[in-house]
Amino acid sequence: MDAAALPWWIWPIALFAVSFAIGIVAVLAGVGGGVLFVPIVGGLFPFHLDFVRGAGLMFALAGTLAAGPPLLRAGMASLRLVMPLALVGSIGSFAGALVGLSLRVELLQTLLGILILGITVLIWRTRAADRPDVGIDALAAFLRLEGEFVDPAAGVKIDWRTHRTLLGLAAFGAIGFIGGIFGLGAGFANVPALNLLMSAPLKVAVGSSGLLISVINSSAAWVYLERGALLPLIVVPAILGVMLGSRLGARLLGTTPAPVVRRLVIVVMLLAGLRALSRGLGVWA
Amino acid sequence: MTADERALRVLYARWLDRASKAGFALCLCAFIVYAGGLLPSYLAAAELPRYWGMSVSRFVAVTNMPHGWGWLRFLGHGDMLNLGAVALLALVTPICYARIVPRLLAERDWLQAALAAAQLAVLAAAASGLLAGPG
Repeated sequence: MDAAALPWWIWPIALFAVSFAIGIVAVLAGVGGGVLFVPIVGGLFPFHLDFVRGAGLMFALAGTLAAGPPLLRAGMASLRLVMPLALVGSIGSFAGALVGLSLRVELLQTLLGILILGITVLIWRTRAADRPDVGIDALAAFLRLEGEFVDPAAGVKIDWRTHRTLLGLAAFGAIGFIGGIFGLGAGFANVPALNLLMSAPLKVAVGSSGLLISVINSSAAWVYLERGALLPLIVVPAILGVMLGSRLGARLLGTTPAPVVRRLVIVVMLLAGLRALSRGLGVWA
Repeated sequence: MTADERALRVLYARWLDRASKAGFALCLCAFIVYAGGLLPSYLAAAELPRYWGMSVSRFVAVTNMPHGWGWLRFLGHGDMLNLGAVALLALVTPICYARIVPRLLAERDWLQAALAAAQLAVLAAAASGLLAGPG
């Protein structure tokens, strides 16, 4: 079927539907939607990857802006933890956006394919760590990266602190850079970095990851906006679709078998990654 | 001195909630105006399929679309109005940070205040386009 022959309004409607579906699945599988949005829309829609990445950033930003307030109020997102990491991540994201917009699309598709396949393996293999009782390091003590929250499921108050802070800051600089290049929210990397590397409790890691994305993506979003890479006809249906889909996903969370959805996401990401890789290498244009 | 973390979180959450809801509502309204053709478009939606497969630098060159902050002069057009609404979503984080800085200063939490001010400077640099160079 010739995509150019279709009426223009088909595409925003289809994009809304795809974003809605991604919004549902992302919540159920516990992954950031951007990591699905960019390879799927980049592979199946006729838009240039520049516009898809711009929309991907806003897509991830919209989802995390909406989720932020309840997470902050519940103490599952820590401003003290987020502020230094987001600052480094924003600088990385800003630089990544500048680099990403100057790369050739074939190279970007190839790198995106490799990245998505790598993330698929990461999601498949990563398990949350039981939090060891870590000692706070000097930099974490200086930045006061510690706190407490009440876990509603366990009904206990948890005091937490982080360590390996310098490595954590470096990791968030790199995560921001990659997110800026590819228009991803990078929740797939934030949570392991916070939980496995810095030893933040999993719920604090998940909650703070959302807030981190909202800050880090804002930096890259301004670059894409300034360059003209945000097309409202692509961005707005994506934002509205993911918002509604995420809400439905949150409602379905209690009744849907999460492991099945997670396996489905892994298969979809595998296909999307292979598709991006094949386009980049010119195997399947 | 350190600011009360919980009070700061609640303040940030309140502003995040308000600003993001306002941003989403404006986005929806602006899109209805745009898609419904209630305002003229700078570049008609029906024309977009000819251009959206181009790289952004070529798109801007071929369509003569305003880039940088040039779109602000054309807010009477549906597509530019939408861009303004999308920009408001990217403004939510700076708004929240700007709101907590005075609180941090009042509580003499110099470290957090410096981090927040540095974050605002990075976002301002990104938005200004000063470091971006020619597209």
